[in-house]
Amino acid sequence: MHSLKKIRKLFDRAGFKEIEVAEKHKAIFLSGNVDHWDRYLEAGYLAAGKGYRGVVNDIQVRGLIPDSFTVPSHSDKSLEGRHFHAAVVGGGVIGAAITRELTRWQIDVALLEKENDLSRHASGRNNGIIHPAFAAPPGSLKARYNTLGNRMFTQEAQELGVPLAWPGLLVVFPSRMMHMLMPLIRRRARQNGVRGVEYLTPEQVRAREPNIYNKQQGGFFLPEGGIVSPYKLTMAYGENAISNGAQVFLQTAVIGFDLIKNQGGNRIVRVNTNRGSFTADLVINAAGIWADQLAEMAGDRFYTIHPRRGAIAILDKKVTHLLKYNIGQLLIPAGKSKGGGVTPTIDGNILLGPTAEEIPHREDFATRTEDLAYIYQHQMFLNKALRSDQVITYFSGNRACTFDEEFVIEPSSYVENFIHVAGIQSPGLTAAPAIAREVGRLAAEILKKTMALLPNAHFNPCRKPLPVMSALSFEERSRLIKENPAYGKIVCRCETVSEGEITDSLRSPLGVASLDGVKQRVRTGMGRCQGGFCTPRLVDIVAREAGINIEKVSKSGPGSELVFKKTKGLVDYSSVKILSEGGKEEESHD
Amino acid sequence: MISLDTLNEKWEVIVIGSGPAGLAAAVAAAESGAEVCIIEREERPGGILKQCIHDGFGLLRFQEKLSGPEYAYRYLEMAANRRIPILGNTFVLKIQREDTGFGLTLQESGRGVFKLQAKAVVYAAGCRERTSRQVYVHGDRPSGIFTAGTLQYMINIQGYMPAKKCVILGSGDIGLIMARRLVLEGAEVEGVYEIKPEPSGLTRNVVQCLDDFGTPLHLSTTVTEIHGQKRVTGVTVCKVDNDAVPFRGTEKYIPCDTLVLSVGLIPENDLLETLGLGLDPTTGGPPVDQYNMTALEGLFVCGNALHVNDLVDYVSESGVLAGQAAADYARYGRKRSRCLQIIPGSGIRYVVPQLWDSAGERNLILYFRSSQTVFQAVLEVISGDRVLRTEKYPVLRPPEMQRLELKAEDFSEPLQDLEFRIREVKI
Repeated sequence: MHSLKKIRKLFDRAGFKEIEVAEKHKAIFLSGNVDHWDRYLEAGYLAAGKGYRGVVNDIQVRGLIPDSFTVPSHSDKSLEGRHFHAAVVGGGVIGAAITRELTRWQIDVALLEKENDLSRHASGRNNGIIHPAFAAPPGSLKARYNTLGNRMFTQEAQELGVPLAWPGLLVVFPSRMMHMLMPLIRRRARQNGVRGVEYLTPEQVRAREPNIYNKQQGGFFLPEGGIVSPYKLTMAYGENAISNGAQVFLQTAVIGFDLIKNQGGNRIVRVNTNRGSFTADLVINAAGIWADQLAEMAGDRFYTIHPRRGAIAILDKKVTHLLKYNIGQLLIPAGKSKGGGVTPTIDGNILLGPTAEEIPHREDFATRTEDLAYIYQHQMFLNKALRSDQVITYFSGNRACTFDEEFVIEPSSYVENFIHVAGIQSPGLTAAPAIAREVGRLAAEILKKTMALLPNAHFNPCRKPLPVMSALSFEERSRLIKENPAYGKIVCRCETVSEGEITDSLRSPLGVASLDGVKQRVRTGMGRCQGGFCTPRLVDIVAREAGINIEKVSKSGPGSELVFKKTKGLVDYSSVKILSEGGKEEESHD
Repeated sequence: MISLDTLNEKWEVIVIGSGPAGLAAAVAAAESGAEVCIIEREERPGGILKQCIHDGFGLLRFQEKLSGPEYAYRYLEMAANRRIPILGNTFVLKIQREDTGFGLTLQESGRGVFKLQAKAVVYAAGCRERTSRQVYVHGDRPSGIFTAGTLQYMINIQGYMPAKKCVILGSGDIGLIMARRLVLEGAEVEGVYEIKPEPSGLTRNVVQCLDDFGTPLHLSTTVTEIHGQKRVTGVTVCKVDNDAVPFRGTEKYIPCDTLVLSVGLIPENDLLETLGLGLDPTTGGPPVDQYNMTALEGLFVCGNALHVNDLVDYVSESGVLAGQAAADYARYGRKRSRCLQIIPGSGIRYVVPQLWDSAGERNLILYFRSSQTVFQAVLEVISGDRVLRTEKYPVLRPPEMQRLELKAEDFSEPLQDLEFRIREVKI
């Protein structure tokens, strides 16, 4: 652990004389002012890796309005006066997986999510890759949970009824010299428990991936690379949690905690939300890009989340046959979430990306002009058959990064019933099953101190997925249609999604009556016409199933409604004077 | 719509799509004596015409100014008179080649998944719309971004008003029509923005939809960014040069709640690509001969699926051509023999058909578009070193597709590839 004096010197030398460096709760706290976001980041990174618990970067950037999260517009008292044994804050894949894990016990579990659906932030905006634990630094939490999660994924996906495939990861050398790194590569694989590493000559690479770019210099193949739908997985975790007794509260944001002082430290007694206050025996912080703010509310903030935006481009399904494997490049030095590549998805598209750009606003999901140029130059070239006109859409999401660029998975040292699960960036999706298991274990330890923790005898890890017509044979489809004709009516023609599947998703225990709620569950609007055909029809179906007016149908919750008013309806004509052909007034007819 | 309880499995001609192309094709096939049915994925037939409540349809075909639904109705009456079955709510899952023609795998709520066979297929499935992302409008994904056709459907068919203050990107016909529609329904149209230096739609639409309503048209300007996270809050527009490269520093923010995209139609030919048919990159449709038959014998394409048209009358004409030829093919077969090319030369963006079977019909109907706006243009149709035809046009514009007829007398041996080119004479 570097002394504060040493760190002060480092900062002075780096031109940060006006920045205050302090220590609190064994973490470094930075404050002061800088002129640019880049300097903010520089300061944060400079304080990292010095042996402290984490870096809290409260430096203000002149001219930049500080970020704060929007509380949902809706408020009520639906949670007022209730009690939960465990409250999980954050409905991404991590929070949903943890919630399901907690239902293995006979306890009341609540999952709180401030958006109008699960999986709205990073969990719904990544490329669905299950990584072999190659990139993660050996000995790190990232590596540990990556390896464990990777090994657990087949069974987890099977139990949850979520499609999964293992195409493998092909890592290509851009330069000839790199094949000399094979001993180091094999060593890294051994350290991280990655099995089956196979060295490939350029000819062998071409034989496996015929469309690989011409200048490649061979590489290596990691068979333990998989693909899954990250948003469908998150939904599956959530649905299985609900079927095992958990409750999910959407559009619910934590605005504060009531704490008391104990011999053991502090203890959260009440959770305050826009839906009222409730008591909880345990709070789990899986709040993603806002995890540090939640930690602050609990009085144990020792990290700051800085968002790193990644843009991804999706290609038309017509060209999917041009790619066999997930392809990446070996980049020296390995950057922070840099690299990316081209990957097939489990749903049959090809994804390009992601990019990596530090930005100041955590919920800034806008794509930028430079994104595509970057993707073409750094990723698309890996497969020479891919072209920019095959892109059907692009989007971006923000990684929740601490300045240590590491996972934070630990019970709080200062609040006896608070667990941190923060900084979960890549390989977060891969790590999810393992993180959930570990957090479940930590949770049980805490709960046992104040209650008799009994296992849930009815816990069923298995979830039966609803039918996906496009994945069925023609015979199976025909059979389903005979049972329920709604399966025969195609609404989204690009992805061939039927009305039956849409109503299934709306009627499910975790159904969300919005266009994106349907989209994340059954893929309407994800095809080449990007909702041009199905959107108007979906509006009608959602209104009907949810029993709401057309004007209330939204894309993703309040504020995103589509229709302002109807153009046709009853009009009061009583004040209208009707003139006859000659221009004389007549009585109006009603 | 005629529906059958007991459906024949074998047909001479099956038409996919019941818009103006498909209806015309089916009626023509029936008039040629073929057993024909139509597959339609929507509940009601008529295709895009159902939502085109403005008039101007049928000036050539019927010498009348009809609305879209009225034009469709004329053909639906003809189809009903010929007792042509239209299978509604029926989706084509797959087309494959079979010994006697084609096998179609279809899906419908009542019948489940079922198969039909046809000796000849006429594909008339029209287009989809280009999206905002495809023209590089960056930003988040708020609600309030609509392609013009989708918006038209919501307003005209569903009676929903999804816009209060909007910006329209693209001065193609659909965008112009919607500019007027939105104003008439009480919305504010801040302006129509067009990336090219001239409008993309018909001149009459610029006059009747923008000028007449005082809606400004901004040329050489595009939308680069959308703002808003839940709902559109505004757009950024930017001036561009003649190569559509933005002039940095000319960005302007416009508050609005809706962005309407009218940035082009893309023929919906994904089903055809699964059959291995290549597409002409300039038209988006497969290359065809003078019978509108593709490289796959017995497979015909017409209407907007073949190339994007401006006038519905030409769409129906192409349907008639395809329908007659499909009926002939189904009954008599026809082997293509001497296929020559029809090449778009200097100044010509494309010509349809792209091929002609010189052993077949020599009275040709051809459609072409110029690459640029030219005045006092002279078009030459050349075969080898002979000029077969010369035509003068006071003006040729890319958005205004032209029709040309070549007669058998125009040709002489030896028959060679044809080339269309423009010799422009500037004043």
